[in-house]
Amino acid sequence: MKNETPANPLETLAYIISQQIKDHSVVYVGTGLPMVAAILARKTHAPSITMVYESGGQDPISGDMPWSVGCPLTWRKSAVLMEMAYSFGQAYNGYIDIAFLGFAQVDMYGNVNTHMIGDDFLKPKARLTGSGGNNDLSSLTENMVLVGLQTPERFPEKVDFITSVGHLKGGNSRKEAGLLGKGPVSVISQWGIYDFEPETKRMRVKSLTPGIPLEIAQQTTGFELLKPEGDIPETSLITPEALEILRTDVDPHGVFTTMPT
Amino acid sequence: MPKNVIIIKETIMSISKYRYNQEAIKNLKIKDTSILDSLIDFESARKAHLEKEHSKVDKRMSLKEAVAEYVHDGDVLTDTGFAYVRTPHQAYFEMVRQGKKGLHAIGAPNTNQSFMINFGTVAYSHNSYVGAEMRGTDRNYSRSVKEGKVAILSEWSHGGVALGLKAAQLGAPGLLSKQMLGSDIMKYNPYIRTIQNPMRNDPDPVAFIPALYPDIAIIHVQAADKFGNAYIYGPVVNDTAIAAASKRLIITAEEIVPEDTLRYNGKKGVTLPFIYADAVVELPFGAAPGNMPGHYYWSRQWWEKLMRYACKNEQNFTEFFDEWVMNAKDQFEFVEKLGGAKWITEARRQTKAAENDNEDIDFSYQEYTLDNDSGIYY
Repeated sequence: MKNETPANPLETLAYIISQQIKDHSVVYVGTGLPMVAAILARKTHAPSITMVYESGGQDPISGDMPWSVGCPLTWRKSAVLMEMAYSFGQAYNGYIDIAFLGFAQVDMYGNVNTHMIGDDFLKPKARLTGSGGNNDLSSLTENMVLVGLQTPERFPEKVDFITSVGHLKGGNSRKEAGLLGKGPVSVISQWGIYDFEPETKRMRVKSLTPGIPLEIAQQTTGFELLKPEGDIPETSLITPEALEILRTDVDPHGVFTTMPT
Repeated sequence: MPKNVIIIKETIMSISKYRYNQEAIKNLKIKDTSILDSLIDFESARKAHLEKEHSKVDKRMSLKEAVAEYVHDGDVLTDTGFAYVRTPHQAYFEMVRQGKKGLHAIGAPNTNQSFMINFGTVAYSHNSYVGAEMRGTDRNYSRSVKEGKVAILSEWSHGGVALGLKAAQLGAPGLLSKQMLGSDIMKYNPYIRTIQNPMRNDPDPVAFIPALYPDIAIIHVQAADKFGNAYIYGPVVNDTAIAAASKRLIITAEEIVPEDTLRYNGKKGVTLPFIYADAVVELPFGAAPGNMPGHYYWSRQWWEKLMRYACKNEQNFTEFFDEWVMNAKDQFEFVEKLGGAKWITEARRQTKAAENDNEDIDFSYQEYTLDNDSGIYY
């Protein structure tokens, strides 16, 4: 019964994220959807990836869906458990291929806010979590992918607080600030995949979810999205096989792929 | 040297011996920077470590005694473990019950500062991460910040805190890092300075992170001996660094074992040396309702109820903490409320299955929602 219902936006996102993961790579996994996506990738096209978690887990054997990044399932029979400082050190030293990060807000340069909403730091409209490992991974990792639902509030022209530097002010400004890696290479939302135009480093449409016109993506964005040359391709949809694996084998209890009510 | 220069110099010295990031001081509206000093006060940490009991003596005492003697009002407290993995929740609850006041909270993460703010136990935050991941933003913390019940003294990334503590463990005044550069965290952290890498000719900004010396840490472990050698299995996170850096250290342990058990321990894990420990407390279920590797899985429903019900408003919060903390004498009463022997059995099965030390089990459970409170915590 369950598998006859079409994929919800979170399941769609999990699949699209999983498609960014190349087999044999070392993946730094944040909590939530990236965790679902990495496990889905491992159970489909990328069986030989190595997963790394900031709580110290490294290359766990397969098991149920972790309930959190500190869950024993993130270090299940790991040969090595890293201290936090050493775990992030692997990103600095070039051992991490790709990291996936969430956001409360992201701007046109891929700068991320997970700190607060409002214009007064001391009296915010809402106080959020703070950085956690978000800033560390975005400062150090070679390839970074940002993941989250797209609404005008979540895609503003300017974020209320720069928790993690993406391309900062565009151009060469990220490198000038002293940061490593390419910065965000893409942003994935329920509407589509975005990359960054190489010169200005501004967010650009790469592909759109089938059935989603550019206008929808633009209307839910607080800044002008750049468009690629020619037709905008469609993002490939989750296959019935992948959806089946996701629902029965990856997140059977819907811990991270049930839409919030 | 002209006389007036000397006077100016003395004036500066009397204000603070540290050179804080003035932009952050201004943004955080910190009037008296002396409140920041303790966290990076290497000299007093070294003095505290020199004055500790250095001989190998029996340091066992009760939790009540340890908290009363070693946790002081106004201390910088580090959160240990990882948010709700091997975290000394029961010792934190005892701090609240004893009415400790005005502590500064640091840690990576420092999720557990949130509930201590409501009781005045924590009044200052060195913030890195507060929340329960996908289970939602911590609305209690958000409210506390907005209402000014907690003053944020600095913002950090997890890695920034980890490096500051690691510098202390390594015996270094600080470390250079590529983390946090260019972000707004730098504008809200008085301790971190952006400098030019002194080894490079080309422009190469680096962040100087000073060694961090918390006043007090409580570390919960699977097993300790009576001297304070403390064995950790599962994620260590920042705890070897915290144990080395902290001016005072309380070890709480699931069990107290003979020293030989740790000397000839062939199991995976790390052992903290006894010389760091001031007190050793036998405290089975000391990490409940969190996860204790090898011993018990977290009570998922308890955390869901905390995030979804208790954090919703002040009234719910007070009711929830009255029930679970203020009116619970100790961890045994807490465990009884979780379901007693049934909870112990289920929680042990769950963590062992997650660790692949037990046959796989069905991890499905009835989630706590506002409409559905089953009253079952395993």
